[in-house]
Amino acid sequence: MFELVNVEKRYMGVHVLKGVDFRIDDGEIVGLVGENGAGKSTLMKVIYGAVQHDAGTLLVDGAPVSFRSPRDAMKRGVGMVYQEQSLIPNLTVMENIFLGFEKPFVRFGAINWKKMAEAARRQLAKVRLDIDPGTITARLTFAQRQLVELAKVLALEERVEGKLVILLDEPTSVLSRDEIELLFSVVRALRHRASFIFVSHRLDEIVALSDRIYVLKDGVVVDVMEAKGADISAIQKKMVGRDINGEYYREDRQAPYDPDRVLLELDHVEIAGQGNDISLTLHAGEVLALVGVEGSGREPILRTIFGMLRPDRGTLRIRGEPVHAFSPAHSVAHGVGYVPRERKVEGIASGMNVFENMTLPQMRNYSHAGVLDIRAERDLAREWIGKLSIKVPSEYADCGNLSGGNQQKVVLAKWRSSGSEIILLDHPTRGLDIGAKEDVYAMIRDMSAHGVGIILVADTLEEAIGLSHTIAVIKDGEIKKWFSCQPKAKPSLYDLIQYMV
Amino acid sequence: MLLLVGMRDINFLSPENLINLAADVVPLLIMAVGMTFVIYIGGIDLSSQSVANMSTVLATIALPTFGVGAGILVIAAGLVAGTVSGVVTTRLKVPSFISTLAVGGIALSVGQYASGQQALHMDTAQRQHAFGWMTGQVAGVPVSLILALAIVALAWFIQTRMMPGRIFKALGAGEPVVVASGIRAERYRILAFALSGMFAALAGLMFSVRLSGGSPTLAEGFLLPAIVAVLVGGTPLTGGVGGVLNTLIGTMIVAVVRASMLYFNIPATGQQIFFGVVLIIAIATTIDRSKMRVVK
Repeated sequence: MFELVNVEKRYMGVHVLKGVDFRIDDGEIVGLVGENGAGKSTLMKVIYGAVQHDAGTLLVDGAPVSFRSPRDAMKRGVGMVYQEQSLIPNLTVMENIFLGFEKPFVRFGAINWKKMAEAARRQLAKVRLDIDPGTITARLTFAQRQLVELAKVLALEERVEGKLVILLDEPTSVLSRDEIELLFSVVRALRHRASFIFVSHRLDEIVALSDRIYVLKDGVVVDVMEAKGADISAIQKKMVGRDINGEYYREDRQAPYDPDRVLLELDHVEIAGQGNDISLTLHAGEVLALVGVEGSGREPILRTIFGMLRPDRGTLRIRGEPVHAFSPAHSVAHGVGYVPRERKVEGIASGMNVFENMTLPQMRNYSHAGVLDIRAERDLAREWIGKLSIKVPSEYADCGNLSGGNQQKVVLAKWRSSGSEIILLDHPTRGLDIGAKEDVYAMIRDMSAHGVGIILVADTLEEAIGLSHTIAVIKDGEIKKWFSCQPKAKPSLYDLIQYMV
Repeated sequence: MLLLVGMRDINFLSPENLINLAADVVPLLIMAVGMTFVIYIGGIDLSSQSVANMSTVLATIALPTFGVGAGILVIAAGLVAGTVSGVVTTRLKVPSFISTLAVGGIALSVGQYASGQQALHMDTAQRQHAFGWMTGQVAGVPVSLILALAIVALAWFIQTRMMPGRIFKALGAGEPVVVASGIRAERYRILAFALSGMFAALAGLMFSVRLSGGSPTLAEGFLLPAIVAVLVGGTPLTGGVGGVLNTLIGTMIVAVVRASMLYFNIPATGQQIFFGVVLIIAIATTIDRSKMRVVK
């Protein structure tokens, strides 16, 4: 049994954890939910020893412990399966599993590889992964790597006394349906060996997998409930502290698009290196969702339209004009905007303030002979901070310090204010909490109403169905099926999934 | 530091001495300001010293034929050297510390070849005619110092008020976001290197006018203090923060340290030891480790 009693944590004056009580029994799966900024990640860090709490007690089987580092926590059987994967890609699977714990395999200073491979195979069997332990990790799929990561934590079993506690931080965010099912069945089968703390933004998964659910809000556990029979909307309400609009995706605001104004056309385009054949048409005011499993080839289509990839064959037309020069600069100049999945890498320049970020793609409009008109830039930023109710102290705030939702608003404002008519959204609500998601959905409706054409690669199928006018189901790089998505006549999850897999 | 030295010798704090101190540091300041642009985008320019060396030689050789035009010629040569570094770094994807080291080697050889491996001297009358205005004084302040401050002001204007400066900042913050915003990032990276080369050449030109001659080793010992000035000023190697004004302060610190060492009779040969140590400390304390996953 692992227990936290009245744990407190402050970061530079911010009270992140305010007396958290948390208990996990042997063999239990506990779900941990909360909005971004509720203190989930800090709580996790305290549990696996990456952060030291200021007050309160950690108990393992009733005995107080203190973790000064993740290694301390591992010695007591607490291990973390990292969301940003911690495996080293150019090492073999077995080297990764026993990284830092090679001692039992060393004889006269050299590693007995056979012995290590044998031991690694035993660990991999626990997670039902049938691969050669000598495989280079980079060759594995994402899901396989996740399982290796789990196996790595399970290897603790042989080194520590007592039961393991394993933290799973958003393990499903990049997995496909099948892979999620596989992961869940592995986790369920491992209950006799370990207890699990499962963190996810996807509440349906939390309810499906967990025994009990902790709801965290503003650093306080606001509720602990049995997962059996738990109601997702009730959990959401507890997380946000208010009612979630029943019309989550604002379907009431979905207006028909303008079929006569074609913004973008892909005419038998072969995406670089894929050997496929994609044709699609995007109209003014339309939301076109590309759905498919991870790796089905949705992102390369977006990147081709944005000019980051050059198609092998076919014609891409923007407002009827064929594109010959493929570069982001060319696409931006023709009114294409891209909201990337990696918000912190490609979306936001951290270290730069709000107006500098917003005018980045449109500096020519805010300068004369290369000299910037900073007053106009600030006016623009203030206007959009008001329009989108972006929570910042001023337009001089460093975008790197904003919350995910506010960063995404800045990215959207950057393209909207520069007059982009074709906006590509790659997982626009990824990692956002419910409130921020709703804001993004409202902004998508606003953009449609202004005649912007949107191509959406959504975080979930529900999101794609809820938001779009048209859905293209993509499998193995090809469009397998088109769905029209009118309000009150939307396809079901099942309709889509059968073409996805 | 100033006060410490001032206590030993009160003359050190006299206005004339301080102005002289500042005037001495003009070539270093200009070189450091150019270097700032490259470090600001997260690169490094190791060719500055060699480019300055080359330009002292070229300026001296070209003076009899071109007069003031020699200056323009030299600046153009620096621009070319910087552009080559930039193109090699961005198009051929060679890390900047290698590409600029290589270009520096080339520039050094050009200087050696053109000078025939010896120190050259400018004809006093020609120098006076073409660049005499640079060596004069206005109200007791050397023109070269005023010129240097004007150059700093220009660089500062580029950095804070112009599009390239903004893009340099974004490049330092992270290149992918610049590309994903539809900016031709490579062009601006090349521009930063070109500016650095140009400023290094300008530094060499002013140095050679001051000393009335040129030699392929004239600016020897400039590189380390220039880098130290940028980093101590507060522009980290990872780029994105700091800037030209920081370098101005950094250069003043370097100048004071250097002058103080003379007062304490520390031999010039020992100075580089000091700057080497300071460089390591400055980098170790200012670097943004979140931007570098592994140090190679």
